[in-house]
Amino acid sequence: MVNKSMMKNKLFSIPVLLFFFLPGHQLNKNTVSKNGGTVNISFINTVNGRLLELNTGSYTNPFAETYTISKFKYYISHVSLAAASGSIDENESYHLVDAANNDALHFSFPVNTGSYQSLSFMTGVDSLHNVSGAQSGALDPLNDMFWTWNTGYIMAKLEGSSPQSKVVNNKVEFHIGGFMGPYQVLKNIVLKFPPGKTLIVKEGGSSEIIIEANIDSWWQQPNDIRIAEHPVCSTPGPLAKKIADNYSKMFTIKDIINN
Amino acid sequence: MLFVGVALSVLLIGAADKTTGSFTDGVLPDYIEFKVPPGWPKPTTDIFAKNRLSEQGFQLGKKLFYDNRLSKDGNLSCAGCHQQFAAFSTYDHDFSHGLNDQHTYRNAPALFNLAWMTKLHWDGGINHIEVQPLSPLTSPTEMAETLENVLAKLKKDSAYPKLFKAAFGTTEINSQRMLKALAQFTGSIVSANSKYDKVLRGEATFTYSEENGYAIFKANCASCHPEPLFTDNSFRNNGFAINDFLKDYGRMRITNDRNDSLKFKVPSLRNVMVSFPYMHDGRIYSIGNVIEHYRTGIVNSPTLDPLLAKPLVITNTQKNELIYFLNTLTDTSMTRNPRFAK
Repeated sequence: MVNKSMMKNKLFSIPVLLFFFLPGHQLNKNTVSKNGGTVNISFINTVNGRLLELNTGSYTNPFAETYTISKFKYYISHVSLAAASGSIDENESYHLVDAANNDALHFSFPVNTGSYQSLSFMTGVDSLHNVSGAQSGALDPLNDMFWTWNTGYIMAKLEGSSPQSKVVNNKVEFHIGGFMGPYQVLKNIVLKFPPGKTLIVKEGGSSEIIIEANIDSWWQQPNDIRIAEHPVCSTPGPLAKKIADNYSKMFTIKDIINN
Repeated sequence: MLFVGVALSVLLIGAADKTTGSFTDGVLPDYIEFKVPPGWPKPTTDIFAKNRLSEQGFQLGKKLFYDNRLSKDGNLSCAGCHQQFAAFSTYDHDFSHGLNDQHTYRNAPALFNLAWMTKLHWDGGINHIEVQPLSPLTSPTEMAETLENVLAKLKKDSAYPKLFKAAFGTTEINSQRMLKALAQFTGSIVSANSKYDKVLRGEATFTYSEENGYAIFKANCASCHPEPLFTDNSFRNNGFAINDFLKDYGRMRITNDRNDSLKFKVPSLRNVMVSFPYMHDGRIYSIGNVIEHYRTGIVNSPTLDPLLAKPLVITNTQKNELIYFLNTLTDTSMTRNPRFAK
């Protein structure tokens, strides 16, 4: 029932797509021209004003609690660039940014030539993909970002230790998830490019957007999160939402480089 | 705009293609159809929509289901706790044995008619059949393995790469394919051929006692255990006091909603006579005592199901007749089917 007719439709539609890539055509979502360029998005993770050093770095939060970080991973999805005339979405847009893996700090995708004013993305995995069964790539449960007992993705993970933590091994463990109901933690982030820094994609060119993810924002505004009170968050619920409300502010555009 | 619509639909179709494997050399598996028993409701979700059922996928899933190596010490397969002759529950065990003689947290459910379930596990914590195996595979009290180790074992095996190729088109072994194969096996186990089913098809006749028991069942039990599934797959508090040792609040653990305290998934009564002991903690070993609970043992609490506000009122004779009827729900064409056996 499924395969043969789908193959036919796919072949059919290629001529249709080529048909409306005529020059001067209005920019539409997902219609990436062959004459476009590439945008590379990279993340630098910082804390206390410096680059994150896993395990070795020693950090202080706004409540004078000291901590080290052993793990920092988060999902970025539904990446989209907005121009005056429309927007370009990345296809199959799911990425796991992982501070422990240099290859997992950047990704690139094709974009039409033009000038873009802002970047948007979702932190986490959308609710549909939380209920769609076994998936692969960034969404593979092998990435250790999937709850097996209450099936759904861990949208962001911050782990480490702190003398202020009274639980076993002084651990600090924030596994932030929950995709439905009042405590869902999915956030839509819109980053307008700063004045003087516009993204200009040229034909065959490669532009870069460098995003800073600042871990300091996890602890405050709007919610005070003290390690001494909450060293662990490992289920969906009100605490996870509070932490997600905080970290939704962690992204800023550090730089845009047009080549 | 029409063009945008076409473009978007092409992308959606492209995405669907990916999940059914990549048969680049053109050798497709033997696709099979999931048959809904005549007169039964169709499942609300098609669990095979993005996991097209094939004979090769089913056989691969079965092999995985019976493979001890999926556990940390090589002693426990899925079948170790899900025994076919017990309708794929653990026979005669309130809790099952995992690694190093540890106990599971809850009673192992029977596995059949899963295609009609939108949530799995006593607390409904599993939202899709494909991701269920992750829980027992990685649970420290059950198979206690890591997903990485399981996949490494499969890749090193002489037989599995070929079986994955036959089912999914290439010898690549990844978690998605392994989980989809398992779902093709477990999702295919249908129980719809008990004596009760034969009676309804006109192929058999109830005895006098069974007939009476059927009437008692319909009058007293069918609101939570409706035909033909003999469950409505909802979450209910059926009047048992909390297990003081486990402090298991059931569905509330998943939803964080106090209204879900002590609610557990209504199990199917099909094959109930071979899947004892009963309830989420296996606290009742005989079906007679389950009926007795509904007659005299219901414990009130804020979330007690409204349907149990009044106790079950039946005579002792009627209780025995009810048990005769429940016996007619045992389906040996499933529990003894060589197709589901190792």
